[in-house]
Amino acid sequence: MANLRRFIIRRLITFIPTLIGVTFIVFIIAAVIPANPARVWAGGQKASPQVIKKLEEEYHLKGNLLERYYWLIYKLFTNQIVSPRTHHYVWEDLAYRFPVTLQLTIIAFIYILLLGIPLGIVAALKRDSWIDTTIRILALIGVSTPVFWLAYLLIFLFFTQLHWITLAGTPVPPYSITGVPLIDALLKLDFKTLGQILSRYSLPGFILGFMGIGVTARIVRNSFLDAMSADFVEYAKARGLKKLRIYRHVLRNALVPVVTVLGLMFGGLLGGAPITERIFGLPGIGNYMLQSIYQYDYLALTGAVFFIALIYLTANLVVDILYAFIDPRVRY
Amino acid sequence: MECQPIIEVKDLYVNFYTYAGIVKAIDGVSFKICRGETYCLVGETGCGKSVTARSLTRLVPPPGRIEKGVILYYPEPGGKPINIMELSEEELRKIRGSEISYVFQDPNTSLDPLYTIGYQIAETMHAHGTVASIKEGIRKAVHILKMVLMPDPETRVKNYPHELSGGMKQRAVIGTSLSNNPKLLIADEPTTALDATVQDQIMDLLRKLRRDRNLTILLITHNMGLVAEMCDRVAVMYAGRIVEEADVYELFNNPLHPYTKALLRAVPNPLKRVEKLESIPGTVPNLIYPPPGCRFHPRCPMVMEICREKRPPEINVKPGHRVACWLYAEKRGE
Repeated sequence: MANLRRFIIRRLITFIPTLIGVTFIVFIIAAVIPANPARVWAGGQKASPQVIKKLEEEYHLKGNLLERYYWLIYKLFTNQIVSPRTHHYVWEDLAYRFPVTLQLTIIAFIYILLLGIPLGIVAALKRDSWIDTTIRILALIGVSTPVFWLAYLLIFLFFTQLHWITLAGTPVPPYSITGVPLIDALLKLDFKTLGQILSRYSLPGFILGFMGIGVTARIVRNSFLDAMSADFVEYAKARGLKKLRIYRHVLRNALVPVVTVLGLMFGGLLGGAPITERIFGLPGIGNYMLQSIYQYDYLALTGAVFFIALIYLTANLVVDILYAFIDPRVRY
Repeated sequence: MECQPIIEVKDLYVNFYTYAGIVKAIDGVSFKICRGETYCLVGETGCGKSVTARSLTRLVPPPGRIEKGVILYYPEPGGKPINIMELSEEELRKIRGSEISYVFQDPNTSLDPLYTIGYQIAETMHAHGTVASIKEGIRKAVHILKMVLMPDPETRVKNYPHELSGGMKQRAVIGTSLSNNPKLLIADEPTTALDATVQDQIMDLLRKLRRDRNLTILLITHNMGLVAEMCDRVAVMYAGRIVEEADVYELFNNPLHPYTKALLRAVPNPLKRVEKLESIPGTVPNLIYPPPGCRFHPRCPMVMEICREKRPPEINVKPGHRVACWLYAEKRGE
């Protein structure tokens, strides 16, 4: 365990350059755009020069780039940046929107687990049969279908035609335990709220997970085939092990690469889904970033990017730690 | 010594259905292994040694299929034989690993990397009811590791395969295979993946186990030195057929088939002085389109007209020495 602590500390240190790099790139791109954000924030063409000047001073819009970057990061860290668009502190904005993204991610991930893994296993077991071919084609469609197209198609079906889902509001129960309505409703066994949440989130969750389902099915299939053709499986047969036990060996070996991909996918989904959230009008991190971009609010954008990068790195770290529990060959 | 068979193979045919065509991997192989002996199958890569060995418990992987043949297993000396070809999957499973065990070529890939050595030995015993639980099996695994002369067995039993050296892994594999006291051990090139010094140790171990436990061994190898050292009787395989079978001394002293002769000239002969090592001209035939008649005829220095047309009969030259070659059919005036 001492090794584990050293490993985690070592990895946490490597977070720093990554976070600086990511935020710096976003900042530079925003800063070199030949537009005056202050004018946009102040109200566009009719903005008074005094207000613009004041905003420029307030938000350090002029001057040395490195200095401005340092100022922004320092202020973000101490939570002193007020978004000129929402007039809230950036971190508060993010904290407020994160539960939406988290719920969307959880639901998307459930689809990925419940559909992607079984489809991959079935395809591997029925290798080269019509079932396998069908699943592979579906997986390919999943990977290559544009999200917005599928989203509107399914909205037409489930909202316009069948009226199964809702497209407005974000259900929030009157109580709060974790701050995430989905988890709270589950903990309290509040099926009414749960139903509302599901009818609001299940379609966007499916859309968001759709690509992941295809990717997962393909990876599960391939890693299963690899594990099934491994020499130790032949030896397990030669030892006279029962079928179920042989499958256990196959399953555990096949899951090693799958866990990595799933972990990274989860981290990636948590970073917000701009297109899905925009189409379904969900006020999550992705939508927040889009709005910030429209309004030249690069302060909030840098904050959001910082937040997403942090989440992704953490997911990565968790995967690496999990790895050692699955695979005894991995040590820190 | 009279031969009490433990396994008898009659007229075995195995085909592999590949995209390129049907590979006739085993083409009419018959042999019998006597109780207590070490029987060797020798031949170059791809001649069908491993497929023959796997066929004994119908372990041929797809796209391979046993087309026909009889495989008789005698559980008790002189008892009634079981025809392996007629058994169900479950009956076969009960024989594999408990009556007939395997040791494969590469110990690095034979063991599941995610489970400890002790666990894998334990589950092998558990699968055949030798122990009541995995826990008991792990306790017994220590004794098994002692039996295969594993250094520090109490620690090793808790180790994962990657924590062991190649030689130790092969010891663990041999231990696993012997954990249910099998009667026949099929060792498929058990030392090919190991260092030369470790090879000797593993062979010493197999010899010791054979002596101590009255084990019958089917050894598959392409190493003629190993054959001379280990085997009682030898069958030489070429392109899916047994071309010659004899007592090990007889084979080295009096090889009859041109392929056996060439093979012995190509390696240092432990019994005779060889002036110069010679290679066999030509290459192994493609078994999708095997040569008609004798499969060795395109490379044979003594080839005759009949060799190209008709399959040579199996001729018993002496008791216990048979050869499939037209040269000896003629001499006996057949």
